[in-house]
Amino acid sequence: MIAALALLDGRIDYTDKLVEIVYQCQMGGACDVSCKVNRDLDPLEVMLELRAKCVEDGQVLPAHMVMIESLRSDDNVLGELKAERGKWAEDLDVKDITKEKADVLYFAGCRYSFDQDLWKIARDTIALLKMAGVDVGISGKEEACCGGRAFEIGYRGEFTKYAEHSIETWNASDVRTVVTSCSDCYGAFKFHYPRIGKKMNFEVLHITEYLDRLIKEGRLKPTKKVPLQVTYHDPCHLGRLSEPYIPWEGVERKVLGQVVIKDPPKEYRRGTNGIYEPPRDLLRSIHGLELVEMERIKEYAWCCGAGGGVKEAYPEFAQWTADERIEEAKATGAEALVTACPWCERSFRDALEHNGAKIKLYDIVELLLEAL
Amino acid sequence: MALRGNVYRILEDIVGPQNISEEPVILDTYAFQWLAETISGTKFCTRPEAVLLPGNVEEVQAIIKACNRYGIRYKAFSTGWGPWNTVGGEGVIQLDLRRMNRILEIDEKNMYAVVEPYVIGSQLQVEAMRKGLNCHLIGAGANTSILASATSMAGYGLTGIFTGYSNCNVLAVEWVLPDGEILRLGSLGSGAGWFGGDGPGPSLRGVMRGMIGALGGLGVFTKCGIKLYPWYGPPTTPIEGIHPLNGMPIPESFRVYSLTFPSWEALADAVYRIGEAEIGYVMGRALPPGLIPALNVGSATEYAQMLQLVSTEGMMDEFKYAIQIFLGANSDRELEYQERALEEILSETGGKIILMLEEQSVKNILFRHLIKSEGISRVFQLAGTFATSLGAGTSWDAAVASGKLGEQLKRKYIERGAIADDGGDLAWGGAYQHGRFGHLEEIIMYDFQDADSLKGADEYIEESAQATIEKSLGQPISIVRGMAEHFGPTSCDYHIWMRRIKKAFDPNITADPSFYIEPEQPPGK
Repeated sequence: MIAALALLDGRIDYTDKLVEIVYQCQMGGACDVSCKVNRDLDPLEVMLELRAKCVEDGQVLPAHMVMIESLRSDDNVLGELKAERGKWAEDLDVKDITKEKADVLYFAGCRYSFDQDLWKIARDTIALLKMAGVDVGISGKEEACCGGRAFEIGYRGEFTKYAEHSIETWNASDVRTVVTSCSDCYGAFKFHYPRIGKKMNFEVLHITEYLDRLIKEGRLKPTKKVPLQVTYHDPCHLGRLSEPYIPWEGVERKVLGQVVIKDPPKEYRRGTNGIYEPPRDLLRSIHGLELVEMERIKEYAWCCGAGGGVKEAYPEFAQWTADERIEEAKATGAEALVTACPWCERSFRDALEHNGAKIKLYDIVELLLEAL
Repeated sequence: MALRGNVYRILEDIVGPQNISEEPVILDTYAFQWLAETISGTKFCTRPEAVLLPGNVEEVQAIIKACNRYGIRYKAFSTGWGPWNTVGGEGVIQLDLRRMNRILEIDEKNMYAVVEPYVIGSQLQVEAMRKGLNCHLIGAGANTSILASATSMAGYGLTGIFTGYSNCNVLAVEWVLPDGEILRLGSLGSGAGWFGGDGPGPSLRGVMRGMIGALGGLGVFTKCGIKLYPWYGPPTTPIEGIHPLNGMPIPESFRVYSLTFPSWEALADAVYRIGEAEIGYVMGRALPPGLIPALNVGSATEYAQMLQLVSTEGMMDEFKYAIQIFLGANSDRELEYQERALEEILSETGGKIILMLEEQSVKNILFRHLIKSEGISRVFQLAGTFATSLGAGTSWDAAVASGKLGEQLKRKYIERGAIADDGGDLAWGGAYQHGRFGHLEEIIMYDFQDADSLKGADEYIEESAQATIEKSLGQPISIVRGMAEHFGPTSCDYHIWMRRIKKAFDPNITADPSFYIEPEQPPGK
């Protein structure tokens, strides 16, 4: 925030250090939540604008350019071939929504589509949905990036292109529910997509919301015991960053001399309305499983390290961030760390491999499948 | 101006390359400060030449010795906010003590803790509460350094009726003097640990900090012992609700009341009697009348709506001459005694409980606000920033006189729209150590981005400072450069003693004197 002000005021100019500071932020929104305790501010919006300005001014990172080039050529941010996108679902008996109708579209996202270590989780998810009798389909190789990462690293044009594409495609189809296991994608759909002003004629659910709903409706019955003590990591994009974008058009004016008010009143996103209970309820529905909480949870959760293009550009910082969270998880005494996002999963896997910490790692879907 | 020659490398060798920077983008984050606009007209004070993050006393000592050798001035700070934490001019390096953030010890039996400079109030409070203890938190918030207000600055908080205040809670101290020598004060000086500030061993409390503190002008304090007090609540304190409207369930061992009195005089009497009866865990004006409507709102817009509502319905009169008090005790009988004593005091002074603040959810928010010292957030939120004035540490009667004067002085600035119309009475503070000492500072809220508002704020601060001299109300809390020269002649010429201390302890004038005292008397003074 101060750097942005100093830059705007002309006190400082771009330097390598400034660019490093701007892009080392994981854009997880923790500062945004904290700052609103005493200010009517949206600091995350400032960070997003600052990154967009950096891109406009040509202050970009090579690692991010690689992501954007990959996006432009192959519709993903991981440098993979578009033709390979649907491979995770090969041999799965699941509808191809580009060829036949389905009630629910399962959106895998870039990470699940191309990270082979994580394919099992996406495949388990399809298995769970089918067990519940859900009429589900996927887009296979026709699926494209959600564009959320492009927005966060400052490439507004790319984001708008992908947001428009997703909304127009899904509006034109018969899909009324889009379910994703990727928290980043979910956050993009909820927090960033509304910014482009296109109506979304479909419901977006994170897989934890949907599975929790299916359990509560009795369509999934986790009856097997899973004797495990776990702690749950709230992904930033499923937690505080999944609160829907709240448009506000109005003016600031002064009353009572110098009290600055928003007219009409502005509603602030405080992170409280993120998706916190569905994943916890889901875990609590598993017999024998005990959930213990970390110190920093829900809107105050610590980031996994992967957000905002940091893992790609500053892997050591991402690693340090993940290490901190793993230490916090270990401090609870839990045997396992559970999350609900492929980016968090990737970040924790890499950190555990590097630091050798002794704690198991699960996606929430894996535990539910074990309980059925 | 960059550090000359190989000085940067010498300093880098002390702290390591990760812990030193002269990047403008980094340095500007140190120049950005609350109230900077009252000095520079912008949100930025002077940029330091470099910033260093020492990790221990040895590194601090090595830096200071290097500064003496190469003629460089330094200014240390921890969490501090306010321009007095910044460097006072060009050619000064900043020592940021954030790496020294450990609680070294909590002695449960003898009720004290040993902390490094960047241990913040909430950090120590959480650990102390686990052991049935609590620490004094200053009004600036639980995010501020425990050590800083104890060794280097003034510090009042509203548990002060029970816990005293920072000036007197400091025990033994480890102090790197301006020439780089390490001095161990109090019991530490005789190798007897951290339990005593004034012995066995050297006691230099007056030299070290005096009333307001040396504001970084007398070296660097690297550790201190700090008194702890009983906590009558649970070892962990659950928080409920959505911030900023979080509440804390009130333990059975506490009672929470907002009180109002018929006049300033009745309020003053009641506070003295509360002190005499030795009751109360929290007591004072954490929420002066103008801020009471802000207790249960989430934004400036909601505050304005609420203030309008309570004003039009005549409810603001209910808040006049208000204080908040929490009773806390470790037995039912003691709590009962405190309740009876309070009832009697209210009966004798015409005070009453503000019934519209009796709703449990509101009381829970109030409880969290005051136990965690979080009221400060509101005065930033409403107009953008705030300044404070008057507020000398003095007798409670004189404090009340400051409160009355502040309200009167603010009137014309409110009328011309220069500062927020908070009703006039935003006198914050309380009586400490069972009423033996008190302070009330008058807060104004203004918009630093508005030239007229800033001008009004500046004029008010100046006028209120002058008024404290004319009315003999003591040295105000609004710290400005040259303050000692200004107020010394009215207070036993203390500035002359400060200058002598500065010269004796800092012969090379390496500790930035800007907000303490310049070594030479300014011409014409």
